[in-house]
Amino acid sequence: MSDELKIVGLLCNWCCYGGADTAGTARMQYPPNVRIIRVMCSGRINPSMIFKAFEEGADGVFVGGCHIGDCHYDAGNYKWSRRSKIVEDILEEFGIEKERFRHEWISASEGEKFQTTMDEFYKTLQKLGPLELK
Amino acid sequence: MSYVLAKSKNPDIQEAGECGGAVTSIFKYLLDENIVDGVLALSPGDDIYDGVPTFITDSEDLIKTAGSYHCAPTMFGDIIQKYLSDKKVAVSVKPCDIRSIDELIKRHKINPDNIFTVGLNCGGTVSPVTGRKMIELFYDINPDDVVSEEIDKGQFIVELADGTEKGVKIHELEHEGYGRRLNCQRCDVKIPRKANIACGNWGASDGWTFIEINDEKGEELIKGAQKAGILETKSPSQDAIDARLKVEGIMIKMAKKNQDVNYEKVSGIKEWDRCIRCCACRDVCPICWCYENCELNKSYFNASDVPPSPIAFQGIRLSHMSFSCCDCGQCDDVCPMDIPVSLIFDKLQKKYQDRTGYVAGVSDDVKPPLYSPAKEEL
Repeated sequence: MSDELKIVGLLCNWCCYGGADTAGTARMQYPPNVRIIRVMCSGRINPSMIFKAFEEGADGVFVGGCHIGDCHYDAGNYKWSRRSKIVEDILEEFGIEKERFRHEWISASEGEKFQTTMDEFYKTLQKLGPLELK
Repeated sequence: MSYVLAKSKNPDIQEAGECGGAVTSIFKYLLDENIVDGVLALSPGDDIYDGVPTFITDSEDLIKTAGSYHCAPTMFGDIIQKYLSDKKVAVSVKPCDIRSIDELIKRHKINPDNIFTVGLNCGGTVSPVTGRKMIELFYDINPDDVVSEEIDKGQFIVELADGTEKGVKIHELEHEGYGRRLNCQRCDVKIPRKANIACGNWGASDGWTFIEINDEKGEELIKGAQKAGILETKSPSQDAIDARLKVEGIMIKMAKKNQDVNYEKVSGIKEWDRCIRCCACRDVCPICWCYENCELNKSYFNASDVPPSPIAFQGIRLSHMSFSCCDCGQCDDVCPMDIPVSLIFDKLQKKYQDRTGYVAGVSDDVKPPLYSPAKEEL
């Protein structure tokens, strides 16, 4: 049942969370499958958070942060971007398709980008179906 | 970097040690001159398949650490950071030992000023259980009769009390599932160039140790031992230097072949569901140092099932330290369920290497890349 697809969205407080807010106040439609967790910075996100989400039954995990150069804490998104590569490498080894893990830079004003990203991500996951962990 | 051939001037050490006992002599010099508080090395346990890490403070006791143990894989990096961090220590290191020490130095767990590292070239180690089994099977010898073993010219050679030797090609042993530990078969760092000096018999004439001096500290070490009248040295011929590089080259080529064959198997590892969550792999890992603060102990991960989902158990450890994995293979050794843990860690370090050029414990980067505040993307 594709409607039960679960997406965990970890969004940075200063940019992407604001972007989601913009999308919301402008009443832009995006899939209700995403559960948003607000974090103070994408640099705060540990790889273990992603793994925990998958372990607990998420079919996809989305991470949103500030555009490179715009980090509220100077360099947090650089740290996340390096970390995300490791996450991709690890997921691959455990048979989780790399399309199930996505990250994007979305600023507070980019409500539309948030909407389209969620749409795309949801469609990708629909094609892949629910995640079956090994 | 310079090369030198050395042997001991002390007849007892020459007799007991391998290749002229140069390494033991250097340790003796360091202890006698009070440059170090003690020497960390392997001394014999019950038999040649058993080596016990020993901290030696009296140079008279050094003689029993002479010789090599291919069947007693141990890890010194961890021991130094846990128990000897406040002492000045001289230690003999295999490439994986010095790689773990280097990673711990980067994590401020070992003070580089406090240690002297005498590197030993390493073609691989054999697990004691496998060692015994294969000597019975392939050599037709009672493993208890063996008085010494060595790896030379692609053969694993055992020697009996009456002086007879028997060798079998390592390639044949490994083809049958015996021989060196699996991580050693994959290892492509054979000469510990991060140690102060790297010693070995490759390229050396009989009774001499070939030493590569890697840094100033190593230079002082050799000069000091010479001055103290315990070490005899001469410079090696170009042929010897070439021969040594050739041996290294062949070993690395073989390792790469093994990597290609084995890395493909990672995504097919079925053994994860055997895991009993004992955390022995974490506890033995020389790179893991958070101990009580380990994320695996946090309530939100501790509560997960047995067997734990591999992504939430190994995944966490992988994300914490796989980029610094020195492929010492101890996680394989301690796993009570025989899960080939080290393979995935080693593969991910290689992936990281391909991305960034960072070789764990070999590259000169000041910090492990993930800890760096640098404003750059991979």
